[in-house]
Amino acid sequence: MPETLWTVLKVFIVVNVVMLHVAYVVYFERKVIGHMQARLGPMRVGWHGLLQPIADGIKLFFKEDIIPSSADKPVFYIAPVIGVIAAIASFAVIPMWEGFSLANINIGILYLLALSSIGSYSIILGGWASNSKYSFLGGLRSSAQVISYEIAMGMSLVGVMMLSGSANLTDIVNAQSQTWFIVSQPVAFFVFLMAAVAETNRTPFDLPEAETELVAGYATEYSGFRYGLFFMAEYAGMFAMSAVATVCFFGGWKGPDVWFLASIPGVVWFLLKIYGFIFFYFWIRATLPRYRYDQLMGLGWKLFIPLALANIIFTGLIKLL
Amino acid sequence: MTVNELIKKVFFIEILQGLALTLKHLFKPAVTIQYPAERKEPFAGSRGLHALVRDSGTGREKCVGCGLCAAMCPSQCIHIYTSEGDDHKKVVDRYEIEVLRCVYCAFCVEACPYGAIVLTDHFEYSGYSREEFYYTKERLLENWDKYMAGNKGKEYLERFWRPRAVDFATPAPAKKEERAKQ
Repeated sequence: MPETLWTVLKVFIVVNVVMLHVAYVVYFERKVIGHMQARLGPMRVGWHGLLQPIADGIKLFFKEDIIPSSADKPVFYIAPVIGVIAAIASFAVIPMWEGFSLANINIGILYLLALSSIGSYSIILGGWASNSKYSFLGGLRSSAQVISYEIAMGMSLVGVMMLSGSANLTDIVNAQSQTWFIVSQPVAFFVFLMAAVAETNRTPFDLPEAETELVAGYATEYSGFRYGLFFMAEYAGMFAMSAVATVCFFGGWKGPDVWFLASIPGVVWFLLKIYGFIFFYFWIRATLPRYRYDQLMGLGWKLFIPLALANIIFTGLIKLL
Repeated sequence: MTVNELIKKVFFIEILQGLALTLKHLFKPAVTIQYPAERKEPFAGSRGLHALVRDSGTGREKCVGCGLCAAMCPSQCIHIYTSEGDDHKKVVDRYEIEVLRCVYCAFCVEACPYGAIVLTDHFEYSGYSREEFYYTKERLLENWDKYMAGNKGKEYLERFWRPRAVDFATPAPAKKEERAKQ
């Protein structure tokens, strides 16, 4: 029994830390993009706008929850919840420091890929249930996009699994104690990074919510806290993808092993690497325009999937020799 | 496709250049002015709220009610009502501007032969009703006292609307005999 309680406590702490990060990553995004566009970003609520996420949360919480009369109600209710659950559940298998992960399972990578696919259900169902053209188009785009990029993402991780000989994330990190997999798998890393951006529906692959074409895509009919849940799912998904990239390519919690840097706890390195990826997400959002839909599909099927396949073959050949 | 183009495409050189540009801007200072807290001084001669020039000698408006400003006004927001006072002098009874219709072209200032109307650099005004923006003669004179206090008004007119060394005092009406002589 105390064992179970301890696990529940750990889950509680991890979920709360993730939610806090999700709240403040929005602030970080607005600041980074603001400064990249020679603006300041939020400045009014608290010192340099530090309380902005809290104000936003309160606002979303108390807004009216509007449900379109022609919506498919049960699906409409449940769609954003699926997204949040899928995104947060991803953190269960991620090893955050030496010997700490909520569930140290042998098929960690498969679990993560499965959850990222489930997350796309939230978008497809939300778009379908809203019974609106824009939402529906957003949902359809999301389904096609996620299917295309899921393949590339899964195959890019195959190289990592081949090198470490395991799908367990802790084993993968331990296999990187000499060199990070970014060095031995640069192509796989590139494919994974792009596929991760596409999976989380971020610019330049944010076609499901392309605001210039589809109002807000799948989230058009959502308001109040349900919209907030979609938002949370997107940002938690970004964190999950960043965590996977860190674990699979950047040595997880391991930092450089030189003098004082060696004494810094692993979780700090882990978080710093994640923040780096998050910054990258915002950086390309501030830089690149959105892809056209056929370009997106062409890129996925004609470039990333062949690249990932070639990478698998190449890694296999190297391993054989 | 030349080798150069191929390399450019494979290594996303142009996207990397774009990323470098945005990164460079991340460390440049923002151009934002935190408006109510920091304000930018309006440029000298900028065109804001209207004011009627108060003659420092008589303490009344300089305006003689000729109506040139109202005639020039493209949005026709100036209304002047005059009457004949004692001594057959023209008296400006009402001089009213509908500020909400004004387009701030400053043709009225340009038209005025006496330098009797100005646009002050006060631009931050707001209100809850249309009536608040219907400026009567008294309020326009108050604007002069408020926003063109001291030498500011004189400098404004000399610098922007007339060559220097022009006397802006209302010329005294010529006596009857003098006029007859001319």
